[in-house]
Amino acid sequence: MSEAARATGAPPVPATARVLRRRGRAARAGVMRRLAATGIGAVGLAVVGVVGLAAVLAPWLPLHDPLLLAMEHRLEPPGPLFLLGTDELGRDILARLVWGARGSLAIGLLTVAIGLSGGLFVGIMAGYYGGTLVEDVLLGLIEVFAAIPLLVWAIAIVGIFGTGSVRLGPLELPNEAKIVILVGLLFVPGLARIAYGLALAEAKADYVAARRLQGAGVWSIMAGDILPNILSPMLVQASVLIGIGIIIEAALSFIGLGVQPPTPSWGGMLADARTLAFSDEWWVATWPGLAIFVAVIGFNFIGDALRTVLDPRRRDAGPAL
Amino acid sequence: MASRVATSLVVLAVVSVLLFVLTRLTPLSPARIVLGADATAEQVHEFERERGLDRSLPDQYAAWVAALPRSGFGASYITGRSIDAELRESLPVTFELVSAAFVLALAGAILLGLIAALTEDRWPDHLIRVLSMTALSVPGFWLALILIRVFAVRLGWVPPNGIVPLAEGWRLHAASLLLPALSIALYYIGALCRLMRAAVIEVLGQDYVRTARALGVRRGLVARYALKNALPPLVSVAGMSFGYMFGWAIIIELVFNIPGLSRALLTAITQRDYPMIQATVLVITAMFILSNLAADLLQRLINPRLRHV
Repeated sequence: MSEAARATGAPPVPATARVLRRRGRAARAGVMRRLAATGIGAVGLAVVGVVGLAAVLAPWLPLHDPLLLAMEHRLEPPGPLFLLGTDELGRDILARLVWGARGSLAIGLLTVAIGLSGGLFVGIMAGYYGGTLVEDVLLGLIEVFAAIPLLVWAIAIVGIFGTGSVRLGPLELPNEAKIVILVGLLFVPGLARIAYGLALAEAKADYVAARRLQGAGVWSIMAGDILPNILSPMLVQASVLIGIGIIIEAALSFIGLGVQPPTPSWGGMLADARTLAFSDEWWVATWPGLAIFVAVIGFNFIGDALRTVLDPRRRDAGPAL
Repeated sequence: MASRVATSLVVLAVVSVLLFVLTRLTPLSPARIVLGADATAEQVHEFERERGLDRSLPDQYAAWVAALPRSGFGASYITGRSIDAELRESLPVTFELVSAAFVLALAGAILLGLIAALTEDRWPDHLIRVLSMTALSVPGFWLALILIRVFAVRLGWVPPNGIVPLAEGWRLHAASLLLPALSIALYYIGALCRLMRAAVIEVLGQDYVRTARALGVRRGLVARYALKNALPPLVSVAGMSFGYMFGWAIIIELVFNIPGLSRALLTAITQRDYPMIQATVLVITAMFILSNLAADLLQRLINPRLRHV
């Protein structure tokens, strides 16, 4: 830790802190540019960009009404009027895909945001208080929650509490919010375990001892010094989970426990298509599945490129689902 | 070693408490669900008293645990059927499906990972990288819909629905398992083959492999050595995958209309049959914990250095 050693000698406290923090930031400087420089990262960014833009701009795009039932147009193949065809109730599939992107992306991103904040908090706490009771308790909690198979528990918990909205004090939580919190929490143990390993190494480093000598508080060291230095590898792990979050949301909607009809969702559209497996209307099942696939592979490409750029030594973590 | 087993048991116990509490935090009393909205307060009270639902949570949990060795998970509130009997029917179906998926995933991942490592940075390696990324991104239930359309409906090679019983011939039985197993396995082929590739590349870089190559040992033999030494890191992840596959099986069984744990759980959810939900999820979680434990034991077995840790 040569930078840290050098930094210990430098007298003015705020300046040192800034120097120390820069190590993590420097690694992330120009990440977007370097991401785009890897072929796979450029493709990922482009794909996610297009899907994201479509989701954000959905209300202003020249689309049919995604909820409008037009029985005279039911199950029309792709054509000039309905570019991707219509479903069993005569609704425009393209419009439903674009509107469905909103839920999928929002749920994918929010679950990972919750998982990442929770994982960082628990992991850094356990790592910073290594060798104390705090570490033992937190690691025990991680162990218990890591023994929970994510998908089954998500299905069961939504199943137990029902798909309606839940009142929590003054807040009324719709089913989507429930799913976001639930899946986000289920992401926590895996990310906390990785954050713990990284934070443990940082907490033992000289610069943390130096900061303590400078009189920096516990929270300031955890949030200001350790966090920026372990953020890069954590972002790599988190980026892979976005795709998994999207797939879990689609899976829950597919079995009727996720986004509730008539709100369009990719998983829900696939559920509608299940009854058509034996008939000739191939387009009903093809497009929503393709949309999930494209969005997920976009995030996976970004994750893969992020790993090359930010964290080249670390190995694949294996399946998280 | 004993401590590893003990930890697993403690985790299972904690998870069972968690699940027990969750199923009792429900907004609707099971009595209301069974007796209907017209039931009088007296009837509801009677129902709750009979089943011990009016007692405190710790009391209820203690009673539930005490009953486990004698009468298992008890009877469903809704159907009155024994939950154990239900699980005895559905668990083997899911277990067989997951095992088939596991074999497919492992075989595919080892083969592709080995090829990718042996052709590092040449076209087969790049192709396999793209394929594994694709496999990681295809939602299994969409794959299932496509496989049914193409191989069952169009081509008629395999039955589109359910599992043909073994009594009707093992060929038909295996054929009917193939599509659902593949729908579950594809994601894991993608995930595990990347790990396999990395492990083999690491082994191939070791001195003893380079020496063997320099001495002119046949390529096939080198590959075998490499395989043997690359497998241990794969074992723990494979064990975890086996457990995770039960989650996917829930969704894939629904698509293929297979009467496994999926039907048990999803039916229980629509009927709000809380004891049944609790038992099914507990069994799946136990499977998950057990397969992780088994992977740990196996890893110690093939890697003697870990035995005394």
